Amino acid sequence: MSRMQLEPAYVLHSRSFRETSLIVEAFTREHGRVAVVARGAKSPRSRWKNVLQPFRPLVISWSQKSDLGTLAAADQVASPPVLQGQALYCGLYMNELLMRLLHRGDPHAEVFERYRQALSELAAEAPPQPLLRVFEKHLLDATGYAMLLDREYGSGAEIQPRSWYEYQPDRGPVLSVGPGEGRVSGAALLALHAENMQAEYLPELRRLMRAVIGYHLGSKPLASLALFSG
Amino acid sequence: MSSEPLLNQLIESLRCLPGVGPKSAQRMALHLLERNREGGLQLASVLVEAMGKIGRCKQCRDLTEMETCAVCVSPRRDQTLLCVVESPVDVLAIEQATAYNGRYFVLLGRLSPLDGIGPAELGLDQLAERLEQDAPEEMIIATNPTVEGEATSFYLQRMAQKHNIRVTRIAHGVPLGGELEYTDQSTLAHAFGSRRLVD
Ligand SMILES: [Zn+2]
Repeated sequence: MSRMQLEPAYVLHSRSFRETSLIVEAFTREHGRVAVVARGAKSPRSRWKNVLQPFRPLVISWSQKSDLGTLAAADQVASPPVLQGQALYCGLYMNELLMRLLHRGDPHAEVFERYRQALSELAAEAPPQPLLRVFEKHLLDATGYAMLLDREYGSGAEIQPRSWYEYQPDRGPVLSVGPGEGRVSGAALLALHAENMQAEYLPELRRLMRAVIGYHLGSKPLASLALFSG
Repeated sequence: MSSEPLLNQLIESLRCLPGVGPKSAQRMALHLLERNREGGLQLASVLVEAMGKIGRCKQCRDLTEMETCAVCVSPRRDQTLLCVVESPVDVLAIEQATAYNGRYFVLLGRLSPLDGIGPAELGLDQLAERLEQDAPEEMIIATNPTVEGEATSFYLQRMAQKHNIRVTRIAHGVPLGGELEYTDQSTLAHAFGSRRLVD
């Protein structure tokens, strides 16, 4: 059995466990995504009730024998980012991505820092699309699905801003004859590569990322996307 | 465990009640059998009837034995106000604690993408229909101040705005009789954010 002490963490999701407990899926900086039982956390008098909420910067301590750990302590260490409206949807979307793409126990300290940063930018009402695209790009990178953005798949030729490409999710961009269904401009690919996206590229980059992430996630779509369509 | 199968079955069945473990289930079963058979029979027949007859109001989805619940049909309730809550227990809480005299819509949950509950699963099309056909003047959003409750609230706001309905959200803040020092950070931050002019 191992014990983890005072590790920075965020709650991604929690669900009921037995009558009064919760199973909390947390994203920790050093141990990645972990699942822990929070005993008694559902009872109205639990000191954890207000703490174990998504988006709150926490430090948690837990012990782990099997896949399911046991929470020993959870404390909020700073005031949480205030996410409202669209920003809240974006936060829930990031949580769903982390739940779906991270394997339990794989450490991703860099993704953790980017997540923290993205939450604070969302709270500051930064335009959500560019920051989501950058977050998605790094998350794919960290989970072994790095995207090829500055070179063509196969030929390795440099991406040209004025050319159009068909993006094959598991491979990369392949030169195509012109714009059309499922195509993306070279300029947009380079903008994402440089992480500097002008507004004109955002719609096609959103379509691109939905297609690529959808491909890696398989048949079950991301449920949080339904929020944005309302 | 007794060696009587029916007694065991009774004890097991009582455990479906919240907060009832094996020990209390046993105590309840013995109490009914030894001291209050009449009460037990009464409970059994009411249970059968209630389970069979109580369904959901076709307008607000609260629990009712009628097709439409008493609140929805009452001419004394203000038809211009519609309060949206997560569950029937919230209706009871508001009815008991406030003088609210409008009508309700019970979501029977809240938007929670990670649990697979989106607008469709929550049946929000039924609410949209109601806003279309029998629009209130004001929609009062009384979802819980959790992350999912807030996400639900935002979705409802946009639905109401599409129909030009005025939207209000119940206030959240420092509990009455509480002290700032002991109020958790987020509640206090929220209370500060939604402070109002005193006149
Ligand atoms: Zn009703």
